[in-house]
Amino acid sequence: MPDWGRNTLELMVQELQHPVRLDDSFNRRVMVRVRRIYAERRHRSIIGWLGAAASISRRPAWAAALAAGVVAVVSVSLLHGPNKPSLPAGQTIPVQFVLVAPEARTVAVVGDFNNWGLGDTALVAVNHNGVWSVSAPVHTGVHRYAFLVNGKQWVADPTAPRAADDDFGQPSSALVVEASTQ
Amino acid sequence: MQGPTGMESSDAALVARVLHGEVNAYSALVSRYRDKYARYAVHMLGNREDAEEALQDAFTRAYRSLARCEDPERFGAWLFRILVNRCRTSGARRVRRGQTFVHDETALLNASEEHPAEQTMWREEIERALGELSADQREAFLLKYVEELGYDEMAEITGVGVSALKMRVMRACDRLRVLLREVHSA
Repeated sequence: MPDWGRNTLELMVQELQHPVRLDDSFNRRVMVRVRRIYAERRHRSIIGWLGAAASISRRPAWAAALAAGVVAVVSVSLLHGPNKPSLPAGQTIPVQFVLVAPEARTVAVVGDFNNWGLGDTALVAVNHNGVWSVSAPVHTGVHRYAFLVNGKQWVADPTAPRAADDDFGQPSSALVVEASTQ
Repeated sequence: MQGPTGMESSDAALVARVLHGEVNAYSALVSRYRDKYARYAVHMLGNREDAEEALQDAFTRAYRSLARCEDPERFGAWLFRILVNRCRTSGARRVRRGQTFVHDETALLNASEEHPAEQTMWREEIERALGELSADQREAFLLKYVEELGYDEMAEITGVGVSALKMRVMRACDRLRVLLREVHSA
């Protein structure tokens, strides 16, 4: 490498390493977005287009995934219907999570409804001849979740819509829990 | 942000406070990383407006998925990975819009005041040369030499193998030498 080239690159890097200053208005703009997300989570009042998607009617996908060897079925009781009910704040609905994974040693369910398993909050599934299942009350609203296999493998539910934020290195699925009209 | 003992709170402590509902604690994390990561975004995207948007987006996405940050003590590294992804997305979108790489006007205005004219010209040459690189090469060059990351860290952040990253850095350096030499020869 010629000295001229090396020196030029060094000068270039020095120039590029000068700090870029942002002012406090940047913080304010970020915090407006953050507080909006916080408020949305607290009130759990959002029902979006996912309403009909995470329903138990996705049985054909369940069968297709079974053939692949790793299958998950989320059975959300009283989940769907043409007339969406209003969502009383704080109402919970029992949800059964099922994962068919004969080779797995452990299976747990982690999601935003249990703080993604932080602080031992993961839902530990019980093994029935390779069919792992666990039930838990989940608040009405839109949720993201995944199966944690063997304590480290993050598996999205193949029968549910993939959640939008998948650029964190771990896939997750979307779940809508609605109140019963029955 | 100062803790009860006057010591600055660690990333892990701030993350824990946010996860326990103290949403304003997140502002301290924003203050801690905004300038450091703004530099990368500005150089990667070539203008301040897109850079600030990408950085805002990264902070927002990080907040939304904060419970998935496996090692809160390394929140900064986790956030940076998100930012690198946002810059890729933003850069790809800009290419689809047919925008060209433009220099950062604010950075030029903030250039050294010792020899303002020469400094501004030099800064323009640098930004123009950087903009001539492919996005992959620019990303690798900035991570290696400006952010001073090791190749293993770069691989972790970008998801690209070490060998490929070394090749991108080498080609970026070769290309930059040619581009800057052309400027001086003109």
